[in-house]
Amino acid sequence: METLAFLAQGFAVATQPEFLLLALIGCAVGTLIGALPGLGPVNGVALMIPLAFNFGLDPTAALILLVSVYYGCMYGGRISSIVLNIPGDEPAMMTTLDGYPMALKGRGGEALGLSAVASFVGATIATIGLTLFAPLLVDLAIKFGPAEYFALFLLAFATIGGVTSGSFTKSFIAACLGLLLGTVGIDPVSSVARYTFGTFELYDGIDFIVALVGLFAISECLVFLEQRHDADKPHIKLGSAWPGMKASLSCKGTIGRGSLIGFVSGVLPGAGASLGSFLSYMLEKRWLGSKGDFGNGDPRGVAAPEAGNNAAAGGALIPMLSLGIPGSGTTAILLALLLSMNITPGPLLFAQQPEMVWGLVAALFIGNIMLLVLNVPLVGLFARVLQAPSWLLMPMVVLIAFVGVYSLNNSPFDLYMMLAFGVLGYVLRKLEIPTVPVVLGLLLGGQMEFNLRRAMSISGGDWSILVNSGISIGIYAFAATLIVAGAVYAMLLKRRLA
Amino acid sequence: MSQMSDLDAHQDRRPAQVGDRLAGAVLLVLALGAWWHSHSFVTGFMQPVGPGAFPRLVSLPLAALAAYLILRPGFNERWPDRAGLARQLAVLLLLAAYAGLLEPLGFLPATLAGAIVLTRLFGAAWGQALIAGTGLALGLYALFEFALGMPLPDVPWWGGGN
Repeated sequence: METLAFLAQGFAVATQPEFLLLALIGCAVGTLIGALPGLGPVNGVALMIPLAFNFGLDPTAALILLVSVYYGCMYGGRISSIVLNIPGDEPAMMTTLDGYPMALKGRGGEALGLSAVASFVGATIATIGLTLFAPLLVDLAIKFGPAEYFALFLLAFATIGGVTSGSFTKSFIAACLGLLLGTVGIDPVSSVARYTFGTFELYDGIDFIVALVGLFAISECLVFLEQRHDADKPHIKLGSAWPGMKASLSCKGTIGRGSLIGFVSGVLPGAGASLGSFLSYMLEKRWLGSKGDFGNGDPRGVAAPEAGNNAAAGGALIPMLSLGIPGSGTTAILLALLLSMNITPGPLLFAQQPEMVWGLVAALFIGNIMLLVLNVPLVGLFARVLQAPSWLLMPMVVLIAFVGVYSLNNSPFDLYMMLAFGVLGYVLRKLEIPTVPVVLGLLLGGQMEFNLRRAMSISGGDWSILVNSGISIGIYAFAATLIVAGAVYAMLLKRRLA
Repeated sequence: MSQMSDLDAHQDRRPAQVGDRLAGAVLLVLALGAWWHSHSFVTGFMQPVGPGAFPRLVSLPLAALAAYLILRPGFNERWPDRAGLARQLAVLLLLAAYAGLLEPLGFLPATLAGAIVLTRLFGAAWGQALIAGTGLALGLYALFEFALGMPLPDVPWWGGGN
């Protein structure tokens, strides 16, 4: 099989000592960031991007580092959920439901061990899925013209709006705002300066890395500052993680089902890990019925969402790598990294730089094993990070963001821009306008406009080219279906919460 | 990460007539302004779609959605109280000052001062802030200057330069 040969090649790339070391660093740092309450994969990866640039890493190395951070964060997110009942990030939310009750019963270590194994299985299944399905999608995507790509971008916004947020209006507002912000700067086709108002720093457009760090890291700090945090941290008694390994054997059905559900929701553009963990938990609860004791510390209630969210994280890489359409906030950031290194993901990437794509996939397999090995014996160490005082952690985040962003262009203007985006991100969060579509709009706007204009110049100004092919009509139909599905999902969610 | 959280937000959210309507109004003005301004972009020769078309294409739904938000406001998370607002403002001012002083003062002095005050603003006692801030500044300097090989702005009056 062709894929296997490519994968073998990938392993040859990824097992170079330099890349192994980067993967290890990424996994460890990612787990730490993910474990901190409030800092999830989006912030973690956003914060690491300026650092990756400064390392002077080549694209493959930078991608391996950041994807390891991404996977690490997904692993780490469960630690504060289980130990403190505070999800490190949104997808880890479902893990609190049974993880914290387990910790209260003194089975915290077991829960952490079990969730490490569940995460490992979920992520590995997703990575296998990535290996199998990404090339298929690439074969399809090779037939895409500009009109189809335009439809695909609309699909991404439709799903991220429809699925991830409670309010349609607000997520589409966020997407439009991002797209509008994305037009700032010199128009690459006509060289006209748009919305720069004479500020020459804006001629290159809004640097999305600066915007990202502001929207996520800085706004997170502003949220933190709302309340005083001088209370003592609780002391955590964990116990060993090893019993969790045994418990995972008895949960193998749960883990398998959770992984599959998570993987599918991860592949849908825009749906991402939160949906993955939510669906796996809910469906497993339904599946087990009265045999389960969900909400009161059932180990399967930890295994299902952890398998689900890690599988979704892997699944989300498929549309990002093969189509250039990110499936979640974090993959949007990875896409931003690639674009700013002048690499455009999509079918051509697989054809032209297979060693990079498959090296990355191999690095994911290796990273997973590293994470499992790191997480079972060292989980006590990671949990201890939660004891570090927040007056040390938060300034550290802010300062790393500052120095990282400054060193991108050595420009104080970028720092002011980052602060402005921090305030914007904060206000949007308070308004319950999701920030991920803003980032996606800012990031994809240029490509979307470019494809639109190319389609139009092919057709000579005839707008009907946008709906002229079976593929694009199919994509629009799929987008419509997903919006409806999103509405149903939102309704179910509302009923669940009511 | 809680900005999209349907699941935990319900504890802390309120109906938001004022917040959402204000946001809707601001966004509406922004959309209309973007629409109006986009007509000043000159369409070049032989371009079926000029530089103004895409911004107009985006500002149209933005205006419509913003108007809808004014008519049907939704929910907001709880806005910060006065003390919280003061803390946020203090940190933002400090960071703006730090950004402005980074180049005139040089990296080390600016970061040293910035880190100490920042740690203090995040709730450390003065003694803790002094130690943690100094450690952070030196650690960052070592990380960027030596480990990453990034030249950071030197202290101007030390001469040399980079």
